[in-house]
Amino acid sequence: MNLILFTFIVLLGFTSYYFGRKKAYTIQSTKKRLTALPQFYGYYLAIWCAIPAFIIFSLWAIFEPTIVKLLILSDYSNQGYLDDELNLLYEKSKALSRGQFTGEITPFIEASAEKYLSLRSIAQSSKVVIVLSAIIASVAYAYKRISSNSRTREPVEKFLKAVLFTASLAAILTTVGIVFSLIFQTIDFFKVIPLFDFVFGTHWYPAKAFVRDSSEALDPTMYSDTFGAVPIFAGTFFIAFIAMCVAIPIGLMSGIYLAEYASTKVRQYAKPLIEILAGIPTVVYGFFAALTVGPFLKELGTSMGLEVSAESALAAGGVMGIMIIPFISSLSDDVITSVPQSLRDGSYAMGATKSETIKRVIFPAALPGIVGSILLGVSRAIGETMIVVMASGLAANLTLNPLESTSTITAQIVVILIGDQAFGDPKTQAAFALGMSLFLVTLCLNIVALRVVKKYREKYE
Amino acid sequence: MIKIKAKDVDVFYGKKQALFNISLDIEENQVTALIGPSGCGKSTFLRCLNRMNDVIDICSVKGEILINDFNINDKSCDVVRLREKIGMVFQKPNPFPKTLYENVSYGPTIHGMAQSKQEMDEIVETSLKKAALWEEVKDRLHEPGTGLSGGQQQRLCIARAISVRPEVILMDEPCSALDPIATAQIEELIDELKKEHTIIIVTHSMAQAARVSQNTGFFHLGQLIEHGSTDKIFKNPDNKKTQDYITGRFG
Repeated sequence: MNLILFTFIVLLGFTSYYFGRKKAYTIQSTKKRLTALPQFYGYYLAIWCAIPAFIIFSLWAIFEPTIVKLLILSDYSNQGYLDDELNLLYEKSKALSRGQFTGEITPFIEASAEKYLSLRSIAQSSKVVIVLSAIIASVAYAYKRISSNSRTREPVEKFLKAVLFTASLAAILTTVGIVFSLIFQTIDFFKVIPLFDFVFGTHWYPAKAFVRDSSEALDPTMYSDTFGAVPIFAGTFFIAFIAMCVAIPIGLMSGIYLAEYASTKVRQYAKPLIEILAGIPTVVYGFFAALTVGPFLKELGTSMGLEVSAESALAAGGVMGIMIIPFISSLSDDVITSVPQSLRDGSYAMGATKSETIKRVIFPAALPGIVGSILLGVSRAIGETMIVVMASGLAANLTLNPLESTSTITAQIVVILIGDQAFGDPKTQAAFALGMSLFLVTLCLNIVALRVVKKYREKYE
Repeated sequence: MIKIKAKDVDVFYGKKQALFNISLDIEENQVTALIGPSGCGKSTFLRCLNRMNDVIDICSVKGEILINDFNINDKSCDVVRLREKIGMVFQKPNPFPKTLYENVSYGPTIHGMAQSKQEMDEIVETSLKKAALWEEVKDRLHEPGTGLSGGQQQRLCIARAISVRPEVILMDEPCSALDPIATAQIEELIDELKKEHTIIIVTHSMAQAARVSQNTGFFHLGQLIEHGSTDKIFKNPDNKKTQDYITGRFG
């Protein structure tokens, strides 16, 4: 029903566009000069169609359920029900009206369900009537108003600006909403687990929290030595460090090769090929690390008399590094290519060789962009989940030995949230706390990156 | 005395021929101006003289270019040494994104010309003095070169070019991005520089060619139509095309 109404309104919009334009053409044919192109007259009418429809629809969406509920519950007033019971009654009658109710059907509920249905259908038909009459009234009003010298261009431009503004606002508000939900859950978490224990504790053992029966009272003392985040922070940075050790040199060098040495033909094929690496799903990298690289390293280690865990930080970090190579190489290739040719010419004309030119002129000029690409890579490494979950183990060891298994923030969030989740439980809230800290870390990283790049830019531009 | 002798130089961009049979002698310690309408090949010819066309993949150069009687198109020619001897200044000032000092010391550093910091300081100072920039920038040598005005940037590029004491300086429309005052400063500088260097300048401004040069070559559609002393070219050219171009009837 709503879909049909919506389609109809869209059609009305097109029709009003058509009429607006037609009226403009009619005015034009009387040799009067218009203040805007005929299309603007069309858009103007279409907006007069869209705005009332939008306003009525949103008002309806906000108020309809509340009003229906009030009307139904008014039957039960003065009968001594508690608020919770009233809510339950309402939900029951709603469910019954949809045929999804499985409990005992009392005549009361049945009556309410019928009333609910009839109210809904009244609401629905009055919505149709009100929306359509409002649209027709407003379009007719606007249609009568437009003349050769009416201003249509400005309202249309303003409307477009408002639409674009709303889109960006939606993006920003979503981010803010996510951050706030993180913050509140994190605060709840730290009400049970002291912040100090979380930041400086060296034992991360969330399995301990799995034991609690949710009917038991919450006893903070049972969580001592459970949520100490040092090992997983260390693991996160350690694995990211290994990944960057692989990705920075290879990515940067291949970027320089592509930008400066490769012939057009080689570049044409090599660049998309490298970028394919970025298109491989991380889960594929994950089992590549877990099933191929991990066991290979273990065998290699054994043959050299080293003890290597099958799930080692080295395997996960190394494969993660390979995953990040295309980001660094492709971005640094772009920034190096965008260094003006005049600088290269200037350097060559001084008798510098290609490598001298790259080292002394091009690299410094491209450095802000290169630093940016590296920091983007670091953010990827810290936020990467799948490879770590599959290849580096889930036990949070505090170690700096790349051959042992270790775990990261992201992997632990997965461990915590897999399976049943109980809201309000420290176990679940721990995931929010971890998410929050991850967010803070990447935020700081980005701020530092921007600062570095800006400072460098100021120096040379 | 003849410094550079070009013999039957042809230049191709891919299959398209850009220069046809150019033969031109360039006098030592004089300013030679190359004039002609846009796309006539004068910049291409200039770039042949320090083998800058090597940078362009599809470009190939045929013929002999003798500098001090040595053919620079020969396989045995070391481009690094060649460009040390033949400096170049470009149309748009292109200082490196480094400090003033580093800009000027760039050439001497890569050619290993200074044994000590003191020696390098001296080279930087004399180069900037010769480029008539020293007085303006001596207090801010360690600020970025890109912070200077357009005319100062171009003089910085000249200082950079002369820092390695080249025998020849190639200038590719060095004033086309500058205002009249900066242009006058550069022209004055060119006059000064010709005492120690041979200068070849490509210019669009005939007034500039007449002001700064002793010899002029006129290019048209990839051919050298006429060359000779600037006086003769401007007052009494042999070729009708030259006459028309000089008097502004085409181009």
